[in-house]
Amino acid sequence: MADRIEGVKKLFTSKSARVETNRGDAYYEKLFQKCQARIEELKTQQPINNRLEISDVLENHGIERRDFLKWASAVTGMLMLPASFTPLVADAALLMNRAPVIWLELQDCAGNSEALLRSDGPKIDEIVLDIISLEFHETLQAASGHQAEKQLEEAIEHFKDKYLLFVEGSIPMADDGIYGTIGASGETFYDHLMRVSKHAAAIVAVGSCATFGGVPAASPNPTGAVGVMDVIKGKPLINIPACPANPANMVGVIIHYILTGQVPELDSLLRPKFAFGYRIHDNCERRAHFDAGEFVEEWGDEGAKNNFCLYKVGCKGPMTFNNCSIIRYNEGVNWPVGVGRGCIGCSEPDFWDKYAYERPMADANIKAPTGGVEKTVDEFGLGLLTAAGIGIGIHAAASSLAGNKEEVGE
Amino acid sequence: MITKQLVEQIEGEASVYFDIKNEKVDFATVTFPHFRGMESILETKPALDALVITPRVCGICGHAHLMATVRALEDAYKNSGYEVQLTQKAKLIREFTLVMEMIQNHLKWLYLVIIPELNKLLHYDGQKSTLKGAYGASLASKAIALFGGQWPHSSYMIPGGITSDPTHIEVMQAHHHLQELKSFFEKESLGTTLETFLSFESCKDFHALDSDIATLEKHLIEADMHQKGFAHDRFLILGEHTFSERTKLKHTRSFGVDIKFVTTKPSFSPYEKSFAYNALYKNDYYETGPLARMMSSGLPIIKNMHRRFKDSAYSRVLARVFELSFMLQHATKLLDKIDVAEDSVVSLVDIKKVWATGIGVVEAPRGPLIHKVTIEDGIIKNYTIITPTQFNIGSDTKEKPTSVQHAMQRLTKEDALFVFRTFDVCSVCTTH
Repeated sequence: MADRIEGVKKLFTSKSARVETNRGDAYYEKLFQKCQARIEELKTQQPINNRLEISDVLENHGIERRDFLKWASAVTGMLMLPASFTPLVADAALLMNRAPVIWLELQDCAGNSEALLRSDGPKIDEIVLDIISLEFHETLQAASGHQAEKQLEEAIEHFKDKYLLFVEGSIPMADDGIYGTIGASGETFYDHLMRVSKHAAAIVAVGSCATFGGVPAASPNPTGAVGVMDVIKGKPLINIPACPANPANMVGVIIHYILTGQVPELDSLLRPKFAFGYRIHDNCERRAHFDAGEFVEEWGDEGAKNNFCLYKVGCKGPMTFNNCSIIRYNEGVNWPVGVGRGCIGCSEPDFWDKYAYERPMADANIKAPTGGVEKTVDEFGLGLLTAAGIGIGIHAAASSLAGNKEEVGE
Repeated sequence: MITKQLVEQIEGEASVYFDIKNEKVDFATVTFPHFRGMESILETKPALDALVITPRVCGICGHAHLMATVRALEDAYKNSGYEVQLTQKAKLIREFTLVMEMIQNHLKWLYLVIIPELNKLLHYDGQKSTLKGAYGASLASKAIALFGGQWPHSSYMIPGGITSDPTHIEVMQAHHHLQELKSFFEKESLGTTLETFLSFESCKDFHALDSDIATLEKHLIEADMHQKGFAHDRFLILGEHTFSERTKLKHTRSFGVDIKFVTTKPSFSPYEKSFAYNALYKNDYYETGPLARMMSSGLPIIKNMHRRFKDSAYSRVLARVFELSFMLQHATKLLDKIDVAEDSVVSLVDIKKVWATGIGVVEAPRGPLIHKVTIEDGIIKNYTIITPTQFNIGSDTKEKPTSVQHAMQRLTKEDALFVFRTFDVCSVCTTH
């Protein structure tokens, strides 16, 4: 198993992560028709379990139609669809209570539930998610014990082969799974996941623990923690890594599913390209300082006061693929780089052991998943990935040696 | 007969095993069946990696973990002969974000756990108002994100200070979120101003209100919670902050404390494997968290409450509401004191020169959080974490019941489960 996991991780290239956004009118026309037909069909169905109508709740929260459409157009953009899809996306959002979602919490810190359901995301995301048919959530639903198990079984039966299964947390495999058991019967997380996933339409692994094992899988991996992709086979699987995963991306996946009935386009690590086709570094607000050779050399120095590039204090933005430099966190308020804390690469596999904290990339044992930062380096392609990492290191080192920022800009 | 009851909605899961005699709980033990091994993951890692790993212990109080780590590392610096003198600004901003995390925690607990659970206990339908908790908490976490970058799992504190260098704009925005949160809480939850609420002198003052909190108080009395859920009437506060001092209380009398008397032992869980350890002070079980902190605050209403209803479930729940109110006011004071012209961080020697052990203690939402780290050559040799739930929700034998075990005794199973939740359990922290 370990070899296979390592193999998958090495497949990734930055080019493979890009979404083709210009497929011609004929393609989008066809897609539009398909989505429209699906939405019309969903409209004829009843909301699940008498859930609230999303439009009513939005109204109760004083969110006007205009704001809602603004949000929908932002989501359309995020999903990399043409603007003409905005009304369909708005409809899909209002029909979210038709999509059965089952949520499992395994070996984790509950941080993704916190991020998703209680604290984060643009206001509308939050409301939409709060009332979406989360059929079964171990942390949030009120019933417990046998009652909860019964509910879960009913949900599986009722929505057989139709529900989206969201999984938060890793699966501890060591010592026959004793480090995580669940429910009144004391079922192991592994058995539980296998049982609940059997009839899922698709599985969405949320957060770094569920995708790649996350913190629990960090060396020495005391509980033998693995991600969902390591144990589930033969099912559509979507990974939404990051610690915590960004709620906007979870909403994006659900809306995409409602809109098209399919999983979004994925990269080789099974991450939706609409969210993970971006490299942090390429959209970073501090990027210009990198290009100018202006770096924070140590915490609190003049560079830090002037928001210079954090590369030398360990930022892993150049190696990390995620859209947080664009959509940020906590309703778009901020993100780690915004407060002078470099990116730790939390959406990449094994980041705890390889990316970590204050080690500049050149010193860290990282095989870069991309062609590096500068154009010339970019062109070397896959074969010289490690060299690219060193290339960046040299660039940064040169800037400090030169002592003259202007000279090393290019 | 022994019955197992699963408890959810507590950041993970726990099982309570009840021994029921004559329809009352004769004795109960608690099992925490999940484990990740955070301490052994931390060992052999570079010391500063702890700053990004420990916040991931918990999804709801990760900030407290971050602060405990940074305090432990700074203590190690001190023990190596490099005392760290933080600027006032760094201290204030750390404190502000910690307080905001506490506020979001209490709000969620109130609206997602306590109010719905109490309604369930009394068989009231009750309008679900979970979105209120979510909205209030999102304002609090936005205020954290201004200085901390994101919430949950922010890592902006570093030995020597903080990485962020806010301008007046961020401070102003934080004021704005806080003000909106205060107005929201006064209007939607309290039904009066924070000033009026905090100046209450008697539980009777609740009767003048018509609000979520007044209803909560009424329902607590209705459920006899003022006569149920008594722990040992011993309280422990270990974290030193602008809002707390290190002390222990026996009834209302205060005594000095020393962190060295905190010990742990494996929890007693005869029916199922538990990964939890109980935390004790001088071999006794103490209650920690909002009731403990409010008891030492000297707020007249808390004194009155304790005189009448001791450390009942009623006092425990309402102390949290008062703490929430107190913290909202306190947060404003902290913001007002920030001088953005000061440095965010002071320069320190390379951590590789620090060969020492350091202890960091923080008041987390549920009580004292203790991190102990030993560093050699920049590498973590040993890391120990003791969390507040280990103090409150230990599981021991009938001869030596922990706070929660004592509080559940002689109640019906339904009452006992409600009392269990009044401690605000965090399963993921407990076993880490």
